[in-house]
Amino acid sequence: MTEQYVDAGRAVGWGSLSGMPHSAPQVAQSVTYDRILRARSEPYNWLTYYGAYDGQRYSPLDQINADNVRRLTPAWVFQCGSSGLHAGASTYAFESTPIVVDGVMYVTGWDGFVWALDAATGKELWRHKHAVPFDTSLCCGNVNRGVAVAHGKVFVVSANAHVLALDASTGQVVWDKTSGDVRAGESGTQAPLIVKDKVIVGSAGGEFGVRGHLDAFDIETGDHLWRCYTVPKPGEPGSETWPKDGEAWARGGGNPWLTGTYDPELNLLIVGTGNPAPDFDGGVREGDNLFTDSTIAVDADTGEIRWHYQCTPHDLWDYDSIGENILFEQDGRKLAAHFDKNGYAFILDRTNGQLVRVFPFVDRITWGDIDAQGNVTAKVYPEKEGDPVHFWPGPAGAKEWTHAAYNPNTELFYVPVQDVGATATRRRREFKEGIPYWGAGVAVDGTDMAGSVSAFDPATGNEVWRWRNEVPMCASVLTTGGDLVFAGEPTGEFHAFNARNGAPLWQFQCGSGHHSSPMTYSVDGRQFVAVPTGWGGWVEGFAPMMLGQTHGAALFAFALPE
Amino acid sequence: MAATTENEAPELFGQNKATLGRMISHGGVGYAEEGPDGRMHATIRIEPDQIAWEPAITVMPHGGDLDLTLINDDLNTHCALLPSNGDSQFLWLVNHSRGTATLNLDGPGYYWFSSPTGNDEGRGLTGAILVQGDVPEEARLDRPPQPRP
Repeated sequence: MTEQYVDAGRAVGWGSLSGMPHSAPQVAQSVTYDRILRARSEPYNWLTYYGAYDGQRYSPLDQINADNVRRLTPAWVFQCGSSGLHAGASTYAFESTPIVVDGVMYVTGWDGFVWALDAATGKELWRHKHAVPFDTSLCCGNVNRGVAVAHGKVFVVSANAHVLALDASTGQVVWDKTSGDVRAGESGTQAPLIVKDKVIVGSAGGEFGVRGHLDAFDIETGDHLWRCYTVPKPGEPGSETWPKDGEAWARGGGNPWLTGTYDPELNLLIVGTGNPAPDFDGGVREGDNLFTDSTIAVDADTGEIRWHYQCTPHDLWDYDSIGENILFEQDGRKLAAHFDKNGYAFILDRTNGQLVRVFPFVDRITWGDIDAQGNVTAKVYPEKEGDPVHFWPGPAGAKEWTHAAYNPNTELFYVPVQDVGATATRRRREFKEGIPYWGAGVAVDGTDMAGSVSAFDPATGNEVWRWRNEVPMCASVLTTGGDLVFAGEPTGEFHAFNARNGAPLWQFQCGSGHHSSPMTYSVDGRQFVAVPTGWGGWVEGFAPMMLGQTHGAALFAFALPE
Repeated sequence: MAATTENEAPELFGQNKATLGRMISHGGVGYAEEGPDGRMHATIRIEPDQIAWEPAITVMPHGGDLDLTLINDDLNTHCALLPSNGDSQFLWLVNHSRGTATLNLDGPGYYWFSSPTGNDEGRGLTGAILVQGDVPEEARLDRPPQPRP
């Protein structure tokens, strides 16, 4: 019978059965470190994750402004549902920040998707799909937060901890390096950062008892250049904050799982680190547990930690400090602002890590106090085995990974706030590689929650305005030279607010909740505001009352009518 | 008492028996063979009226390139959407046809593949490729060996 088979031929790429041209203009070839350094001088582009190295998520574009934003309308929509079974089928989310270079948009989805789109029309130009194992350890969903672009390449991490360099014109692989150990529970979710000739990538996996690290790869070859562990080995600086005996340090977490900011004058990467492991059982890791829950300043050339500031010593509440450190100047001082999961905002001198100011940015904080000098007093925490303890904020934090923004015109910070509590019951468990290592049962409150977009004056810590919401705000904020602040709701509404007083000026229902980062750019003189929508991720952590909200997978671009 | 395998409760597995289709991933296990050049190869079939991949699970000893032969011995048309780095690979498989696919997979871990037409996936044409092994030494954590489950 064999000779009678019909010849089915060879399998073809799934993307070849589509209308896309499989190529993009070679705009990324001229993107260099120098251009990224001066990213804000070309506001029609969004060249790096936060728009610029300072992390302000501010664009000077003002075609869309407080006077005309009421006329904003969808210009195009990119839909991106997937086929077949994939990891985290119920928890995938569209968490990306698009990058735009001279009319081409590069954006990631979940499960290894990277797309190049025509930024003016939304037409798909090419697609890359990394195959992600179905059984990859993912604490908080199948997500990815974006790419970096430079030297004709698009850089992305995969959920199974690979760092890929793709040809920006075709999406084909240029190099592929493994950056973590999936058998240990490591994964990759963050957008890489280009600094000089390096691709900087942090690890994820703190809920599995790994040892966090930040890595640098050569932009052209992918050669590994340095690794910075965020938990020291015995004998290294900071090791005195871990138990002398045993291997708590080896399972200590501290993953820098979100993109850092960069000060080129100081040559310092300003990076947040994650929770210690196990998250809620401090009895197996006595001490402050450096450098978990910290802002660390890392020499971009060598990977050495120059200074650190720990926001939550000996964390017992899962208060990662991975949130961005926004660089700004005030009264001639080089500062960094960080809104922590523990509910406090920290203003640091970024030359040395000294605390300048600390203030709360959410209404309910019961886990402990931090005084004006930065002294931390823990009050409520899981301590006795089997004894439930309730605290605010819950483990997703008063602000999750989603980003705040700083507008140099208003000199205000805009913060997406989550006011949600949780109950943790300590349940000690033996460590086993690749198995979740929390040390507690955790239930986040399903009622009595709130959210807001809140504006703060960093000079005083005073709240200047607040737009209140019935549920937590779980998406990043964007601010522009048009005196606007953009933010999305879990229920799908995408808002524009007056940056000076918080007045709601415009909204559009996107059909799925927001858990991503909006950005803005222009093509041929027309300004667009783009936002990925696709509700998911660790919803049971930051908004359990919204677990049933519709899943989605669409990227909206808004503009004024032509 | 729980029956754990198809052999212990055969009445639950198969087309239009207890269920309408065949519960996915219940079928044979096959092992890819590795050539001297490190490339691996394996064959997967669709048996007549089974609407299932045989073997349902193909095992690769490590990550790398897999040359796969797919044979449709069924009396109906199916297809295959297979995981591979760069882009998923797609092949039409009309009745009594034979084709090939080259896949690149990292592993370790396992990946689903299927026949994405009608509800072939739900009827049983969902299979898995399992990649054994470890990540490269240079990507592992600098720490003592840790206990595993």
